Amino acid sequence: MSLIEIDHVSVTFRAKGREVRAVEDVSFSVDEGESFGLVGESGSGKSTILRAICGMAPVTAGTIRIGGKALPSPRGSGFATQVQMVFQDPYASLHPRHTIDRTLSEPLAIHGLRDSDARVVQALQDVGLPPGFRFRYPHQLSGGQRQRVAIARALMLQPRILLLDEPTSALDASVQAEVLNLLSRLREERGLTFLMVSHDLAVIDHMCDRILVMQHGRAVEQMRREDLAQARMTTPYARSLFDASADRMLG
Amino acid sequence: MTTLRAWLQDPSPTSRRQARLGQLWLAWLRIRRNRLAMAGLVIVGILLLVAALAPWIAPHDPFVQDLGNRLKPPGTPGQWLGTDDFGRDILSRIMYGARITLYIIALVAVTAPVLGLLVGTISGYFGGWVDAVLMRLTDIFLAFPRLILALALVAVLGPGIENAVLAIALTAWPPYARVARAETLTIRSSDYIAAVRLQGAGAPRIILGHVVPMCLPSVIIRVTLDMAGVILIAAGLGFLGLGVQPPQPEWGLMISSGRKFLFEQWWVATMPGLAIFIVSLGFNLLGDGLRDVLDPKSAPK
Amino acid sequence: MTLLDVRNLRVTFDTETGPVEAVRGVSFSLGRERLGIVGESGSGKTMTGRAVLRLIRPPGRIEADAMLFDGQDLMRASDREMRALRGKRIGMVMQDPKYSLNPVMTVGDQLTEGLRRRDGLGRRDAEAKALAALEAVQIRDPQRVMEAFPHELSGGMGQRVMIAMMLIPEPDLLIADEPTSALDVTVQAEVLSILDRLVRERGMGLIFISHDLRLVARFCDRVLVMYKGKVVEELEARHLLEAKHPYTRGLLDCLPRIGGPRGPLPALDRSGAWAQ
Repeated sequence: MSLIEIDHVSVTFRAKGREVRAVEDVSFSVDEGESFGLVGESGSGKSTILRAICGMAPVTAGTIRIGGKALPSPRGSGFATQVQMVFQDPYASLHPRHTIDRTLSEPLAIHGLRDSDARVVQALQDVGLPPGFRFRYPHQLSGGQRQRVAIARALMLQPRILLLDEPTSALDASVQAEVLNLLSRLREERGLTFLMVSHDLAVIDHMCDRILVMQHGRAVEQMRREDLAQARMTTPYARSLFDASADRMLG
Repeated sequence: MTTLRAWLQDPSPTSRRQARLGQLWLAWLRIRRNRLAMAGLVIVGILLLVAALAPWIAPHDPFVQDLGNRLKPPGTPGQWLGTDDFGRDILSRIMYGARITLYIIALVAVTAPVLGLLVGTISGYFGGWVDAVLMRLTDIFLAFPRLILALALVAVLGPGIENAVLAIALTAWPPYARVARAETLTIRSSDYIAAVRLQGAGAPRIILGHVVPMCLPSVIIRVTLDMAGVILIAAGLGFLGLGVQPPQPEWGLMISSGRKFLFEQWWVATMPGLAIFIVSLGFNLLGDGLRDVLDPKSAPK
Repeated sequence: MTLLDVRNLRVTFDTETGPVEAVRGVSFSLGRERLGIVGESGSGKTMTGRAVLRLIRPPGRIEADAMLFDGQDLMRASDREMRALRGKRIGMVMQDPKYSLNPVMTVGDQLTEGLRRRDGLGRRDAEAKALAALEAVQIRDPQRVMEAFPHELSGGMGQRVMIAMMLIPEPDLLIADEPTSALDVTVQAEVLSILDRLVRERGMGLIFISHDLRLVARFCDRVLVMYKGKVVEELEARHLLEAKHPYTRGLLDCLPRIGGPRGPLPALDRSGAWAQ
């Protein structure tokens, strides 16, 4: 049974009287425990889909269902314990004037959970950060360390679904490898469902079981990981995207 | 001393308090390199000291009249800044006046910015009709000349320090609301606000816990820069007889009473004027320096 | 023929908590070729590029035994001489065109400003030259772009405008700092081919700063690999993907590959002597 269902969803922004269609009639579904990737160039609407799930973009048609139930609007606090998101830029997604401790204990305080101290220490350990980082400020951390904090924050409420918006594109290659390894490990340990957005086919291929290629707000082609590795794509756009990433092939 | 410094500069603090003090220490190191800001800090520090110690360091009682000694020029032994038309020592009166000035500044500083910050962040965060209503209200207050509005309020409420402060505070908040709103508009769309909203936080929590701390530095800077203006308005109200009442040694009032002798006995009005000038300058320099230290955009990565 | 010769370049920043060395003794020379500088963030690659133009603000300091550009020692040049070199003989393209273009001037005004002020060209001549420059970077509708404001352009378009702007004075050396990192792969290829043509046709020297090893291997002639302010390896770009140095090797190995194994990606080992 599908955990996330995106059913003929369109997102239209209204700016200065003009309508901009960011997502048009996109449908796909993600199974429980699966890792699903959205690929495309900038302006393809892939990040907008993640924001639409979170209620941060205006859905003008279609429905989004989690666990078979259509999402209420506004999302409500039950949503926070099911779905969390990791943002692209770890420099912008952590509050610059809050310590790591404050950032991590905030979700616990919002939901009135006890044991804040122990949970924060445990969360730091889970993402591979030393306990001494607890009272540091974000600017005292490197990009990779910040992204680990962002991942720890997303997991504080123990959600089932993690939305990943280009989680490593702002990071160095070696740090990207560490963060991807961390995400894979956490998914395995906790049985998380991933919906990941990236422009990097190699990263998507490494992380995801199924892939949806998007262009100009529309779904172009859905394929399995094996199809990508064997270059078995049917649409010219997916082919051109693949060709531009040819240097990311194995061997 | 070295262990304290090491404790403050520890890159991995072990408690919230140490982390916060470490931040303050770094801010102090930054402001210490800015000479003008240090000059401002010294002036404000001297103002605080003089106000606190006035009864002990003032050479004379500021209220005792000595008509035989009236209008002595500066440099007279025992009365180094001269005496006014009732023979009161001007230096002592300036020293006691520092207390009144500080009292007004403190009261304004805890009312106007808080009101402005709340109006601005609420307006910016919610947008829509809330924004429209609050900002039009701000516009109305901004449209009045400050001194005229303060005059009108004092005329209704009656003269006195508290009413003067209320009048100043009510006319001083709109600029803070504008600054806070402009900042909130950019903060509102940032990822860290999206993240905390995604965790189910409500609007009051987001505004007070996440938006206000980001607006605070620019408001603090504005407050210090505006302090000079507040001192001048308070002095202006005193000068017009609508603020502090005689025989209180308020600086504006002292200038007002010295006006009559401005051409023959210039010091009576000039000495308190100089005090206002120096303190205003001190707050301005400090505000400029704080801008460099507190502005998150200028903070090193 | 050597265009730029840098010997023992150091960039130091004095901070509250003591001096920080961003570049620690970098030496290289450049002919009319494409030199790549690769490294992770904090490796000093951007600072190296900026130091050549002496664009390091206090509290940063630049020191070098020599920094010769076409026979002129940049370390001894006066501020006035440096200003004359910047833009005219040494151009620089930054990562994000949004921050490098003036938001309140049209593209046309920005492109012609230098021509009219510095070279004393008339409005018509300057505009003709600007249009030609936009055409040279493959902008299809140069007349419309000339009248546009920077925010009306897409990222790829803005980056091409930046390159056109740098190329109008026909510099001998172009320093491009991550010029394609903000662009989509398909646009990236176009921008690179433009730079490539300029090097070949005009005999320009190019310093190409990037974090993307695969891109540099494909595009450059020679590569410096930097780590913590030092050059750890210098080699021919076509041999980059077969590099032997443990750091370069580690950077290459930790990249995921399409169709590669699913297990954990190898982590970069920073314990070697090179990491000091």
